[in-house]
Amino acid sequence: MWENILSALPLLFSPSVLLAMAAGTTVGVFIGALPGLSATMGIAVLIPLTFSMDPLVALGMMAGIYNGAMYGGAIPAILLRIPGTPAGIATVFDGHPMAQKGQGLEAMKIALASSAFGGSVSALALLLLSPPLAAMALKFGPVEIFWLAIFGLAAIAVLLSDAPIKGLTSACLGLLLGMVGIDSMTGNERFTFDIMELTGGINILVLLTGLYAIPPALTLALEATLIKKGSGKDKLGSGKSMVAWKHLVPTWCRSSVIGVIVGIIPGTGGNIAAMLSWNEARRAAKDKSQFGKGNPVGVAAAECANNADNAASLIPALTLGIPGSTVSAVILGGLLVHGLLPGPQLFTQSAPITYGFILAMLVTSIMLFIIGRLGARLFINVMYMPPLLLAPIIIALTTIGVYAINNSIFDVWLMMILGLAGWGLERLQVPLAPAVLAVILGPIAESSLRRAMLIGGNDISFLFSSSIAMVMVGAIVMTILSPIIRMAMASYRRRKGKQSSTATTRMVEGPGES
Amino acid sequence: MKTSFSKTLLVIGTTTLISGPALADYPERPIEMIIAYSAGGGTDIAARTLVPYLEEHLGTDITVVNRPGAGGEVGFTELAKAKPDGYTIGFINTPNVITIPIERETRYEIDDFAPIASVVDDPAGFNVHPESQFKTLDDLIEHAKANPNDISYGTTGVGSDDHLAALALERQADIKMTHVPFPGSADVRQALMGQHIDLGIFNMGEAASDAKAGRVRTLAQGAEKRWEKAPDVPTLKEQGYDLVIGSNRGIAAPAGVPEDRINKLSQAVAKAMQEEDFQAAADKQALPLYYQNPQDYQKTLNTAQERFQALWEESPWSEQ
Repeated sequence: MWENILSALPLLFSPSVLLAMAAGTTVGVFIGALPGLSATMGIAVLIPLTFSMDPLVALGMMAGIYNGAMYGGAIPAILLRIPGTPAGIATVFDGHPMAQKGQGLEAMKIALASSAFGGSVSALALLLLSPPLAAMALKFGPVEIFWLAIFGLAAIAVLLSDAPIKGLTSACLGLLLGMVGIDSMTGNERFTFDIMELTGGINILVLLTGLYAIPPALTLALEATLIKKGSGKDKLGSGKSMVAWKHLVPTWCRSSVIGVIVGIIPGTGGNIAAMLSWNEARRAAKDKSQFGKGNPVGVAAAECANNADNAASLIPALTLGIPGSTVSAVILGGLLVHGLLPGPQLFTQSAPITYGFILAMLVTSIMLFIIGRLGARLFINVMYMPPLLLAPIIIALTTIGVYAINNSIFDVWLMMILGLAGWGLERLQVPLAPAVLAVILGPIAESSLRRAMLIGGNDISFLFSSSIAMVMVGAIVMTILSPIIRMAMASYRRRKGKQSSTATTRMVEGPGES
Repeated sequence: MKTSFSKTLLVIGTTTLISGPALADYPERPIEMIIAYSAGGGTDIAARTLVPYLEEHLGTDITVVNRPGAGGEVGFTELAKAKPDGYTIGFINTPNVITIPIERETRYEIDDFAPIASVVDDPAGFNVHPESQFKTLDDLIEHAKANPNDISYGTTGVGSDDHLAALALERQADIKMTHVPFPGSADVRQALMGQHIDLGIFNMGEAASDAKAGRVRTLAQGAEKRWEKAPDVPTLKEQGYDLVIGSNRGIAAPAGVPEDRINKLSQAVAKAMQEEDFQAAADKQALPLYYQNPQDYQKTLNTAQERFQALWEESPWSEQ
């Protein structure tokens, strides 16, 4: 491993890669700070524009956007009470009260340091855990991959506790879209309507840009006057520290671990990590009453965890090709267009680039700290960028980018249609994340199951024949039962006369960002 | 007005037709090369490796355009329908370019192409795990005869050259095995190394590094004669099966390009492929180079077409 790291270092510290990482991080903070735009969208828009770049330049930029956007989401969460990305929700709890007390700048500083810390731990986890996990990947045959994909799908189902019908509709739509194209097991055409371009299935990048880039652009254009210029600025304060940072270290460590674990589990994202971590910080504190009223520890816990989720969520994507979140799905797409296939060979044959990318996740976490400090006041102004200017820029960029994927105007139309459909679904408050995860996990689950049945001679018991499979089945059962257990526990606590935790019942957002 | 306009068109048309080849110095502007697969894929990398040397010998620029989709059909169709003036050429890959029109209704046929040169011919390889009980192809076939459908084999998909190789072997050896299609050769390799399948069929070039590292054992190759990078692996022919199969990548133009232009292109390809630098680069990618002139390449394509058509009629490899 060390020699792989050493061989990646000269590539990583070439001027073009460093510049790409810095630019990516800056753009990432911008994207995160703009409510409605997400890291998924930013990376999806940019990938096609990186075709002609060296792989590591492109990947370094993606790493920067990913880390940057996770922090960027904290800025409007603190100042305006609007989470810039889904993962910023928990930051609002304590961040906005701090701003109301005139400690906005301090909250932002804490969020920045916490993000950088969480991101670095996460990148180290990716660096240390991926190669052994990749070696284990050979043990993952069709049976194990099938259960892993089902685990991811089950996790989606559980996260729908708020509006299960809408979430399931979205997931089913994703499963259906995933079926379009030639059935790889028999050669039959499914839902292709004799359109040649559809025989290969819907390109995942076209789908992701359609669903993630077009709807926010349309919403921006329609609600052009959402954020009034200058609002929130009076809450910045002096930025002087009210709390010694060394007091935050235990919180950072705990939140990093939570973020990394949540990241590895497919289907769960940064919002869950931040929520759990905030809750844990509150539970661990001596004085719980200050949480939700502007406690710096709350900001640190939430922001550290949502960045600690970043690199960790790439572990299953890089080692097994199973993306656990929408962002890792786009990054996986980015790796594929640069000829890097997930799996063990990624860590042997393409080692310099793979390790270069992993190290870029680490370097951009550190860069984030510097860039965030230098550009704090600039980033605040980003929130007030005129939406009427922004929306057409996004649409123009996505159109060019999507055309560039396959040089196909069909893809552009497909993206527009998917974008309009996605916008309609958002208006109906149907979450899009289940659709995106289902469109990726559905075909993986289907083809693995059919492969397993072929190998096992159509014997169902073959699906339960390995210990990894049994562990996974256990995890799936636990996941599916968890809402029931949670409900039972809540009612038990109520009977004991205690209030149920606000945080656990607030875990309602879909697994959008991570 | 309308008639005079179309007359003018006709005049312009005929003069270009007559004067086109006469104006001679072909090529006088950049040539477009269509790749029917994504940027970064095997065909794309091979093509982009060749292009600089080809540019040198043709004395013009070549623009590579990727038109992926539908297993290559999108790009093949575009190449077949392009203007046959020698300024649009492209890579065609067997068996796809031949099997797609056999499997389904398409907007092109194999006769719509004028072959220029074969560039790469990567024979199919029959690989097992190093710890497998099968030491030779005979072991495998014996076992399959005694236990029909017991051996599972992975390929890069329904109708791929790997799949067709297995079907042809099954037919000749009178055995039955279980087909497990995977999305790509990396997935087949991974499944084989994890011993989830008994036999992995993928091209020799794709097996080269794993075979060298002892991660797979290759029982047979589908080449005409042993590939120089795998001199220890017997061919199917040597083992008594009349079977030469693999994936061929070559350059073609739309049918109707003047013969002198085809020949000029073909000679430039031949010269480019002889360059030492190119051969070194191809070596790095483990590409088995195989040049054929337009006539021989046409014959290769025709033979393959007949064989696949016959195979399809006897046992269609996909459900339609």
